[in-house]
Amino acid sequence: MIKVSNLSFSYHKAEGPVLSGINLEFDRRSTAIIGQNGAGKTTFVKLLKGLLKPDEGDILIQNHSVKLKTAAELARTVGLVFQNPNDQIFKRTVLEEAMFGLLNIKMGRHTAENQAIKALKLVNLDDKLEMNPHDLSLSEKKLLCIASIVAMDPDIIILDEPTIAQDHAGKKIISQIIKELAEKEKLVMTIIHDMDFVAENFERTIVFNEGKVLLDGETRDVFAQKDILQEANVEAPGITQLAEKLGFEHTILTVEEFIKAVK
Amino acid sequence: MKSISLYVDRESFVHDVDPITKLIYILFAILVPIILPSFTVSFICVGISLLLILAAGVFRKTLPIFGFVFLVLITVVIIQGLFRPENETVLFQIGPFAMYQEGLHYALKITLRVVNIVGAFMILVLTTKPSHLVESLVRKGMSPRIGYVIVSVFQIIPEMMASMSTITDAQRSRGMETEGNLLVRIKAFLPLLGPVVLGSLINTKERAMALEVRGFNSRTPKTYLNVEKTYAYSKGIQALLLLLIVGAVAWRIFL
Ligand SMILES: Nc1ncnc2c1ncn2[C@@H]1O[C@H](COP(=O)(O)OP(=O)(O)OP(=O)(O)O)[C@@H](O)[C@H]1O
Ligand SMILES: [Mg+2]
Repeated sequence: MIKVSNLSFSYHKAEGPVLSGINLEFDRRSTAIIGQNGAGKTTFVKLLKGLLKPDEGDILIQNHSVKLKTAAELARTVGLVFQNPNDQIFKRTVLEEAMFGLLNIKMGRHTAENQAIKALKLVNLDDKLEMNPHDLSLSEKKLLCIASIVAMDPDIIILDEPTIAQDHAGKKIISQIIKELAEKEKLVMTIIHDMDFVAENFERTIVFNEGKVLLDGETRDVFAQKDILQEANVEAPGITQLAEKLGFEHTILTVEEFIKAVK
Repeated sequence: MKSISLYVDRESFVHDVDPITKLIYILFAILVPIILPSFTVSFICVGISLLLILAAGVFRKTLPIFGFVFLVLITVVIIQGLFRPENETVLFQIGPFAMYQEGLHYALKITLRVVNIVGAFMILVLTTKPSHLVESLVRKGMSPRIGYVIVSVFQIIPEMMASMSTITDAQRSRGMETEGNLLVRIKAFLPLLGPVVLGSLINTKERAMALEVRGFNSRTPKTYLNVEKTYAYSKGIQALLLLLIVGAVAWRIFL
């Protein structure tokens, strides 16, 4: 679906590249992007979304080069939920906020409203349609932002730190949405620092470190590589580490797996 | 983050002079040519400012500003040269239009005044950090509240510009077209203002609370983060400038 070849990018030439020599291919597997603060994760997804233009290399999305399209044209194909909901929230009511993107891609008002309400139901905000988004709590704002992108039904959905400020219920909603999108054959890509969430929800994991891809593979294989993870300053989930310290043979990702292995 | 201040970080004796002295210099450069309205005096003042700008190594930074100022002044020259009521002596003819000596004379006077004032301000603006200037003024007795307001303008505007660009990105991501002809751009720009202003109001509220928590309004005398920079000759320069102003007044009255 996405093919990234030899991608390099810098904000200021003098400060050196933020990303360099990145080669990646994305299929429909749900993918987590992890790595330390400042590793270049957000920059990478902004490039995918056409918000930034590569210095070198190319990005092909469904065989079309991103360079030739504006971010707005890419909106039907790639949806990006921003890290900070306040950057995204824009309209006076929850419903209008969720409809904004749909109207931009020239959908009729009536259909747009239906799609938006459907997406808002997913995040349990359908009872707050007329509320001002700024009166929502931070976690609700974040969910609203996710809904407003999901409503647009793009083939590729990128979430930047969706679990920020989410309690258990919020995480469950997000996890459920990721599953449903995967069932619909969409590519879900998520930048995230919550390793338990990664282990439970993503098939593939990519580790960024100082602007390069350090590890890439099945989540289970990635979390097995303790030494390389350490180099990128990320830690495997607690349960994985516990199992490893107890001398389990296989890499454990979730509590359920752990219990099964013990029994 | 981008800075809106024009300050150029360099080493020079102009940079070392304290902001108060530079303020007095501005006063001097504005007042003296008004008190003594001869071309020679104006030229000397412009010359001094230019020398100081060169000495500070910030001449190139002044070019765009002077460029803009000259653009405005050219219209003054043309209008005064052609239409000033006192115009009598034709100096030269461009096609059907006659340029008059009186008008050009007057326009030159205005030009010198403006260049003079702009130059003097430029010395202050290009060689002094805004926060340093405000700190000096607060030391001289300006209310720290007003000082804070001035300093925060220099912080808030770049912040608003940064948040404008992220908000624009977020809306482009949702299919809002922001690239293209002027109409598209204007249509995209206007609705973005709401969230940007709202965001900075929210920030302001939080900043106010943060300040309050750290005792901004407490009545005890405030201390300063930076040690006061004193320039050895500043008292002397200040005295000289003030003396020159007084001297100019005396000259005007008695001679
Ligand atoms: N707009 C910008 N201008 C200049 N430099 C930037 C800009 N945005 C990010 N950077 C720099 O690029 C580097 C990578 O930043 P990026 O935001 O991509 O990191 P990240 O992996 O998303 O980090 P985090 O986990 O903190 O979100 C950092 O060193 C950052 O300081
Ligand atoms: Mg980031």
